[in-house]
Amino acid sequence: MKSIYIGVDVGSVSTNVVAIDKDVNVLFKTYIRTNGQPIDSVKEGIKQLKESLGNVEVLGVGTTGSGRQLAGAILGADVIKNEITAHATATIHFVPNVRTIFEIGGQDSKIIIIKDQMVVDFAMNTVCAAGTGSFLDHQAERLKIPIEQFGDLALSAKNSVRIAGRCTVFAESDMIAKQQFGFSKAEIIRGLCDALVRNYLNNVGRGKNLEPPFVFQGGVAANKGIKAAFERELKSEIIVPEHFNVMGAIGSAILAKDYIEKTKAKTKFRGFDAADIEFTTSSFECKGCSNRCEVVKVSMEGKVIAMWGDRCGKWTNSL
Amino acid sequence: MKVSFPYMGSTIVYKKLFEFLEHEVIMPPKPTQRTMDLGVKYSPEFACIPLKMVMGTYLEAIEKGAKVLVTSGGHGPCRAGFYGDTHRNILKSLGYDDVELIIFDAPQDNWKAFWRNVQKIRNGVPWPKVINRMYTLYRFVQKLDELEKMVQKIRPYEINKGQTTQVWNEIQEKFDKIKTRKELYKVYEECKKMLLSIPTKEVDEKDKIRVGIVGEIYVVMESSINFGIEEILGNLGVEVERSLYLFEWINDNLVPWALRPKRFKEIIKKGQRYIKILIGGHAVETVGHIIDFKERGFDGIIHLMPFACLPELVTQSLIPKISKEVDIPILSLPIDEQTGKANMLTRIEAFVDLLRNRKKGRTKEVFVNEFQQHADEERVVVV
Repeated sequence: MKSIYIGVDVGSVSTNVVAIDKDVNVLFKTYIRTNGQPIDSVKEGIKQLKESLGNVEVLGVGTTGSGRQLAGAILGADVIKNEITAHATATIHFVPNVRTIFEIGGQDSKIIIIKDQMVVDFAMNTVCAAGTGSFLDHQAERLKIPIEQFGDLALSAKNSVRIAGRCTVFAESDMIAKQQFGFSKAEIIRGLCDALVRNYLNNVGRGKNLEPPFVFQGGVAANKGIKAAFERELKSEIIVPEHFNVMGAIGSAILAKDYIEKTKAKTKFRGFDAADIEFTTSSFECKGCSNRCEVVKVSMEGKVIAMWGDRCGKWTNSL
Repeated sequence: MKVSFPYMGSTIVYKKLFEFLEHEVIMPPKPTQRTMDLGVKYSPEFACIPLKMVMGTYLEAIEKGAKVLVTSGGHGPCRAGFYGDTHRNILKSLGYDDVELIIFDAPQDNWKAFWRNVQKIRNGVPWPKVINRMYTLYRFVQKLDELEKMVQKIRPYEINKGQTTQVWNEIQEKFDKIKTRKELYKVYEECKKMLLSIPTKEVDEKDKIRVGIVGEIYVVMESSINFGIEEILGNLGVEVERSLYLFEWINDNLVPWALRPKRFKEIIKKGQRYIKILIGGHAVETVGHIIDFKERGFDGIIHLMPFACLPELVTQSLIPKISKEVDIPILSLPIDEQTGKANMLTRIEAFVDLLRNRKKGRTKEVFVNEFQQHADEERVVVV
């Protein structure tokens, strides 16, 4: 029977589940659309893992991403870590000499600066420059091009059209205007890729010293157009790792593995049955004081298993 | 007069002030989603979040019966100096003609207006009494701030999660009831004991992480808008100190200039290494404090800025340079009306990871050491 560590990354757009062995070989990976239903997508991922690997012994579980708390509560995770740490951990494992990580997902964009295998700086999109992945999706749909062909089409363009990069509202109206001028779809898409990269480097990477080797990951790394735009802008090779779209999940699995190996603890994993258990999330406004915190409550078959959001700890500590 | 004021930080101090001047105080409610909704609805879209939140607070205070609103104005080119008038105009347009807004601008800009305001809120209380009580209030603020600083140093190491915050709430309630100076000193000693009796775990000096919080006054002081960042950090095991405490602010701004504390001047001087001229808001102070925190051995800085705040934007644009030259990690967090905490938490957590790594210099070791604590905490105590 195989011994595995599970890593789960619940993001706004996708939920990724991976299984690694003790040498960090990726035995299983899946990339599921979250569709606003993180509980269902986590269950689905775990179910697929079970079906694909058969009988396995789970030694540890790590979760990351914006839904990490929820996923952690559902699965019984040993490690719940932010995605910056998780991404850095995985990337350092696969590309040990990495200096700069570009991570562009559905909602968030990040730049992580590494020195001597240590995170020394990072930046995440502020209010603008967010939602790059979602925006690309939306544009693909609007232009009636499957998102998978988006990158190839961008590569086929000979010229780029200048698209306003500042924010997606401007970008979209600029694209529409350029379409009306008669530029080809390919040219406009290439222009869009350039604009997004320019905007990302200006906004997220503002003031940072970007040193190669560059690693580009996250869902958007599938897009060859964006990768090419990066290479044009930075005049340097961009590495897209094999498991580019599940690096966060791999990182959290590695973190879980390190933790279990170090502490010799037994995993808190609830077991694969978790996929069949009914979990519900609800929230209520606590009226205990004037803070009026919104308390989130996760129940497993009617029994409350986790609560958070209260400032004073009244509910959190009541379990 | 039924007096109210903007809600910011430890509001019991302002409440005391008006109680001492024998006004009927209408306590503004702690800002909530409703405050924000009201503020956003009735404020110009491009105004920064403090203006909107204060607008909302005024409207809620008026609902509770306030007839007079007292606030501080601005000094220098930050548009905050203009906010009092903006608020006044909005209130007027909403038909609150009977509500008076008293704005205390920097006295040196207009002594006459300042004096008129003082006379108004003095409320006929004889001067000797006023002076005596103001002195009490001065000490009151000082003691409260001292206790708050203790809270920020104890919270990261508490054994029972949430206990420090609970004690801090009790302390504020106790302070709220204080009437005289004698009582103040007595209560202060009691509260100090309460804090010192909180069970804490031993942490090695070299493992302690200290973060300084700098930025625009409202978002730094008011926890309802900054997601309770001090508690978030405390719960992650980080000691916190703000660049702004009320007592220091009073010393820096209300005590006559000749007596301006040396420390304040030093901070400004440090800030002027990067921002030569006064650009309003707290930009120069923010930079000065960043340098000061570094010199005092802090591990990192969190810089809070209201979205679209010009002085803080200037600071933010200087941050990569400062961070490099002074050699301290700085995380800027723009704050607006969003209430989604998830991505703010991600940044803060990752930042704390980074600080710990820097301190230990070994990535893997640190990650592992911290897991236990984090995994356990986060399972139960997320925030």
